[in-house]
Amino acid sequence: MSTETVSGPVRPAAATGTRSMGREALILLVFSAIVLSMPFWLPLLGGYEGLATKIMVWAIFAVGFDILLGFTGLLSFGHAAFFGGAAYVTGYVFRDHTSEIIVAFIASQLGVLVLAAAIGFLSLRRTGIYFSILTLAFAEMMFAAALAIFAPFTGGYDGLTMRTTPTLFGMPMQGLYVFYMGAIMLIFGFAVARMIKNSAFGLMLRSIKENPMRLQYTGVNVWAYKMAAFMISAHFAGVAGFLMVVYEPYVATKFLHWSTSGEVVIMSVIGGVGTLFGPIIGAGFLMYFENVVQAAIGEQWKLVLGLVFVLVVIFLPGGFVQLGAMIWRATGHKVRERRHNVPDMEPDTQRERNLG
Amino acid sequence: MADVQTPQPETGAPPPAGTLPTGEAILQVKGLNKRFGGLQAINNINLDVAKGSIHAIIGPNGAGKSTFLNCLIGLIEPDTGEILFEGKSIKGLKQHRIIQRGIARVFQTPQIFPGMSLTENVTIAALSKRDGEFRFNPVTPLNASNSATEEAQSVLAQVGLADQRDVEAEHLSRGDKRRLELAICIAAHAKLLLLDEPTAGMSRHDTNRTIDLLRLISEKGMTKIVIEHDMHVVFSLAQRVSVLAQGAVIADGTPEEVRGNPKVKEAYLGGAH
Amino acid sequence: MDPNALFLQLLTGLQLGAIYALIALGLTLIFGTLGFVNFAHGALYVIAIYAAVTVAANTNFLLAIILVPALLFAIGVAFERGLIRHFYTRPHTDQILITFGLAIVVEELMKWIFGANNIPFTLPEWGSGLMVFYSDWSAVPAVPVFQEAPSLWVPFIEGFVTYQFWRVVLIAVSLVTVAGLFALLQFTRFGLVVRAGMRDPEMLRFLGINIAQKFAIVVGLGAAIAGIAGVFGGPITQVTPGVGMALLVPSFLVVVIGGMGSLSGALIAAILIGMALSFSAEIANLQQIVVYLIAVVVLLVRPRGLFGKKGVFE
Repeated sequence: MSTETVSGPVRPAAATGTRSMGREALILLVFSAIVLSMPFWLPLLGGYEGLATKIMVWAIFAVGFDILLGFTGLLSFGHAAFFGGAAYVTGYVFRDHTSEIIVAFIASQLGVLVLAAAIGFLSLRRTGIYFSILTLAFAEMMFAAALAIFAPFTGGYDGLTMRTTPTLFGMPMQGLYVFYMGAIMLIFGFAVARMIKNSAFGLMLRSIKENPMRLQYTGVNVWAYKMAAFMISAHFAGVAGFLMVVYEPYVATKFLHWSTSGEVVIMSVIGGVGTLFGPIIGAGFLMYFENVVQAAIGEQWKLVLGLVFVLVVIFLPGGFVQLGAMIWRATGHKVRERRHNVPDMEPDTQRERNLG
Repeated sequence: MADVQTPQPETGAPPPAGTLPTGEAILQVKGLNKRFGGLQAINNINLDVAKGSIHAIIGPNGAGKSTFLNCLIGLIEPDTGEILFEGKSIKGLKQHRIIQRGIARVFQTPQIFPGMSLTENVTIAALSKRDGEFRFNPVTPLNASNSATEEAQSVLAQVGLADQRDVEAEHLSRGDKRRLELAICIAAHAKLLLLDEPTAGMSRHDTNRTIDLLRLISEKGMTKIVIEHDMHVVFSLAQRVSVLAQGAVIADGTPEEVRGNPKVKEAYLGGAH
Repeated sequence: MDPNALFLQLLTGLQLGAIYALIALGLTLIFGTLGFVNFAHGALYVIAIYAAVTVAANTNFLLAIILVPALLFAIGVAFERGLIRHFYTRPHTDQILITFGLAIVVEELMKWIFGANNIPFTLPEWGSGLMVFYSDWSAVPAVPVFQEAPSLWVPFIEGFVTYQFWRVVLIAVSLVTVAGLFALLQFTRFGLVVRAGMRDPEMLRFLGINIAQKFAIVVGLGAAIAGIAGVFGGPITQVTPGVGMALLVPSFLVVVIGGMGSLSGALIAAILIGMALSFSAEIANLQQIVVYLIAVVVLLVRPRGLFGKKGVFE
């Protein structure tokens, strides 16, 4: 709901067949090139190889989160449950069963499936702010349970540590291999998200954000679409959690903590909700900030980050993507203007729908 | 005066032949009751709505008009009574299921998808008709050659919004927002349209345009129930009028009959209006 | 069950419920009138405990009791006038985001100023020590620590039990605060407007009642209650920057269980949660998740909470 300022009033009418296919392919190609070359250009900015992998992890998380927040307009504060849940399952498989990545991947996604169905079912009984509160609550419940009831499996406060190096068909996965696995997952995830955005399903999701009541009154089962979006984004979070453990064979309790959910919210908002690119940029920004800028400004980096976040929410509801559009326009380029040429414009009464 | 309390429209004065629509009833409401705490919001309403007709419901503020509409659409569950749509009960069904049967609703404030283009607005409704209440199809791109998009373009042309199809809906005038909302209902292939004060807050010009549009879509055989305060609208549109007061139908007939009915005058003068 | 243990568990339940009640009442008050979800409410509590600990350490605890709620009231009013009001017309998600951002800023600011570790909160002399509950005074040992402690006669218990006096103070203060809030809302014109606003905010705006000013006071009031919670609850919870968020989540659940915007619902839910926490303490590991389990059950049975009204939009 926070991004209507990003797009101009004129949308490219559902673009015609082949031309849009070509455009999609080009977007994907450029995106892939930037992502795959990251280990070469990131060190020039003061980053390191492992940071690139971490960015992959969080970008996957953020892309999936955008399907829920950006498309559907549902603000979940509980996606740590899926990130952390998948991480724990992955860690458990690596520690006690096999180092084979495929097995851990399937197991973690099955875990997320069950978890997302349960939390989604409960949280989506309510909408809007209640949904945010409930997702937060159930994720915190997972956190509390991991520390107490499930401590024998989760290692309690110590987290899960494992000695094995993850393998793919027996081949050890370390360093750049993990990065490229993550990069391929991100590119695939990004392509899936773009595909959803351009599909009938995606249109339904976006219309939930616009006006769920009208959608309901058009004969659509809004709940089912919300649930589907929730499950999809949960699986993205699960993939990210899985990848995190492949990258660093350790599961921290923090993965389930609300601050993990908060981080993905922050990167999405800072980057630009609903744009898919934005949250990825946000993920990169946050990881860069946390790992590189922190070295410069010390412990107060979180305070600075919080302030940046607050300022973006107040002044830049479209995040960095909006900022980019503004700069683009200020430098004399043409950007589609908002058109206010319609007679008898009225203040937007849609806002006051007040449906709770 | 004793008869005033018995809300049975069928026993009222016999309607003059020819004016009242006589076709089969698309909607039958039987003995509908709803209480909110101590308030009898709906008091034993019996009502038949003939297929293809425009049926107005009028009454003073607080008469239960909106509650009645909300019962029809499944937002409020009535305590007792039965609602039959095309002969089948729709009472207790989920809202979107009722709507999938072919009922649509237009709100006092036009409810549209403000940040989306008109094409997208109407395509959503066409998709709802085509794919039902839920369909998981994230693969096929929704481009211009899509059947739902084509349907949307044709409906937009029917209501006269074709040249604005790429404009974001929030930039429309109020009258055009109403048109768009009707276009959404048409694309959803609604058979019965419930309108809650469709011209509230509109200029006379927009009101007349809306009336014309409602007439136009009536010719396609869409039945309508209209809640209205504006008598100009009621008398320009409705073939049959039911008057609600304190949750009960106190009069029913052609606009002319109702206009002359002393009970109606009393209800309005005695009410808050 | 042993009546003495039962009595102590009831007291503990009340004491736990008291803090949740104070925070949840502020939340639900602000939500009910302004339709605003304040993720920064925990941060207000954090400000309150640090303010209280600072004032109490440098001057006098009694001064903190007066100053901190007043300070929080001022912060609340400034918060509403300076920030929240610009968000009334923005989507709910933006409101959550901005208050969430503020919560982070406050937490990090406190971490910067006071450090991340717990600061000991010394109780004033009059509030430290034990309280004696007895049914038979002759059973109380004749030593000064018992004989000079505050005491209360309670039937049903056997002999006597002791309980931290400060926790009893917290319960008493909470009761007074809640009673005061309800009286304010019940018997004043301000309360009349606020209650009407909780029922139908649109209508009040329509009638042209100066809601803006009242809104600022409502937020101030909610913050002041968090201030009271901070002064009296701080010595019990902990004084760390993270305690705000740790309290916020269960407090949200209290509000949701009680029914969003329902004051009495929040109160009853808070006591329910407090009791559940207290009585589940002995069952291995249940205590950590009992709040959430109750929330799940309530949501399944009554999605709108115990006292939530069914939304009818007309």
